[in-house]
Amino acid sequence: MDENASARLTRRALTVAHRVGLFLAMFVICLPGIWIVLSSLRPTVEIMAKPPVWIPQELSFDAYIAMFSGIGKGGIPVLDYFRNSLIISVTSTVIAVAIGMAGGYAFARYRFRGKSGMFLGLMLTRTVPGIALSLPLFFLYVRLGIIDTHIGMILAYVALNVPFTIWLIDGFFRQVPKDLAEAAQIDGCTRWQAFWQVEFPLARPGIASAAIFAFLTCWNEFALASQLTRSVNSKTLPVGLLDYTAEFTIDWRGMCALAVVMIIPALTLTYIVQKHLVGGLTSGAVKG
Amino acid sequence: MKGFKPSAPFLLLLPAIIVLAAVVVLPLILSLYSSFTPFRLTRPETFFVFVGVRNYLSILSNADFWWAFGRTVLLLTIALNLEMLLGLGLAMLVEKATRGQRILRTLMMFPMMFSPILVGFQFKFMFNDNIGLVNNALQSLGITQDAIPWLIEGHLAFIAISIAEIWSSTSIFAILILAGLLAMPKEPIEAARVDGCTPWQTFRYVTWPFVMPFAYIAMTIRSLDVARAYDIVKIMTDGGPAGRTELLWTLVGRTAYSDARMGLANAMAYFSILLSIAFTVYFYNKLAAARAQIGAEW
Repeated sequence: MDENASARLTRRALTVAHRVGLFLAMFVICLPGIWIVLSSLRPTVEIMAKPPVWIPQELSFDAYIAMFSGIGKGGIPVLDYFRNSLIISVTSTVIAVAIGMAGGYAFARYRFRGKSGMFLGLMLTRTVPGIALSLPLFFLYVRLGIIDTHIGMILAYVALNVPFTIWLIDGFFRQVPKDLAEAAQIDGCTRWQAFWQVEFPLARPGIASAAIFAFLTCWNEFALASQLTRSVNSKTLPVGLLDYTAEFTIDWRGMCALAVVMIIPALTLTYIVQKHLVGGLTSGAVKG
Repeated sequence: MKGFKPSAPFLLLLPAIIVLAAVVVLPLILSLYSSFTPFRLTRPETFFVFVGVRNYLSILSNADFWWAFGRTVLLLTIALNLEMLLGLGLAMLVEKATRGQRILRTLMMFPMMFSPILVGFQFKFMFNDNIGLVNNALQSLGITQDAIPWLIEGHLAFIAISIAEIWSSTSIFAILILAGLLAMPKEPIEAARVDGCTPWQTFRYVTWPFVMPFAYIAMTIRSLDVARAYDIVKIMTDGGPAGRTELLWTLVGRTAYSDARMGLANAMAYFSILLSIAFTVYFYNKLAAARAQIGAEW
């Protein structure tokens, strides 16, 4: 009986410890984000206050209004950056996914010589750090005259995303049973038709995840963008964030507001695809 | 028909190969060449002067470079190991939760949605010695009276950067390890428990071997992207104070664009590329080995 009681007690203590641990972990994970959102809504005086003001006294959307009301009032041309980011990210995502579908299909459905070597080779191109790649690209782009243009950025981002979209899409095509496409072909489809009628619809959620993943990579990329863009012609939001820093001062509130603007699309999109994304990464790699 | 088929996969892969050749391989060949020249952006004619391995030799004797190199390896070692441990812990905490797992999983992915540059910026804000959240909290709680110079003192800055890096990437490990835990068959654990294993033994000999490939997938994905620390460091300290947090990548960027010494920077860049490739190949091999192991056991 005594043993039972102590076992129950240990169990209780473990549950409580588990709850506390979980809560602390989640707190640490969420805190920076919450702090940014909060700071973007507070007046600068409160951010700078010493001793700190913990409970916000007044909240306002001034920083956001200032940001979107154009040059002069908000300080930086956020709308231009936003448009650049959107054009570059969307275009390069579409191209990268199209290329990734072709490549992923090849890896998932065909056997050919040098397949695993090629796969690793593709991955290795992705390991080149953005800053290291930016040096020769910068030089080449200046020569070709496509520095500080959308085309240049799109090209770079397509190459950045292709290895990953191939990896993900390969994983999703592998989950689609081969028999289905074969059955369709026996029923008179060409291989092309079988792909579009059978395999593509089944792998579509996965391909959508790959697309969103590629989009987020472009949306968030900084190392290449900071060197290959020069002006409002092609500067993207991550580079624009730096506009809030002057030599010795930083407009924290404005920066927080821009940060929130950048996070919201990323947050929404990641939330939509989270389940498929993990499935794709692991299935491609574990089941071999 | 038979003779025509083998070319299909290559046709399908052709666009990928063309793009990567044009945007990655060709520029890299160019940069390899220019690493053998004293090329400066401001003086284009220097592009055609060949100096052999002089850039590499000057790197080898450059103390700043080796400090940056060592610091990069140290940061990666600390960050990757801690991320793995914390990720494993987090995944197990979430897996044990009986209620609200969906919400927990979503919260867990929160840092993944932040671009590295935002991570850098928000931690710069939080670690600010004057108005940052960390110092404010420490002072309000009465732990210290002074403003701790987080980003101004060399060692503290390194710690702050490591924290930012770990915060941003732990969730990749956690989410993939969690996927492994959830996919794991329950019978072996029950069998181990029936056979009298302690919880530690069950974890060490049953759960861990199964989860390991997932951890290595996370490692491989992370190592493809180790250079994202560049964004964080660039924003938080920009290599300062006095070069105390200079990593390989920020050093490359500075040498190339601020000092305009492209040739030298390209030579340095090759070291950083080799470092990235070494990490990736290492973890890819580990992944293959771990996969073979579970293939054999399950």
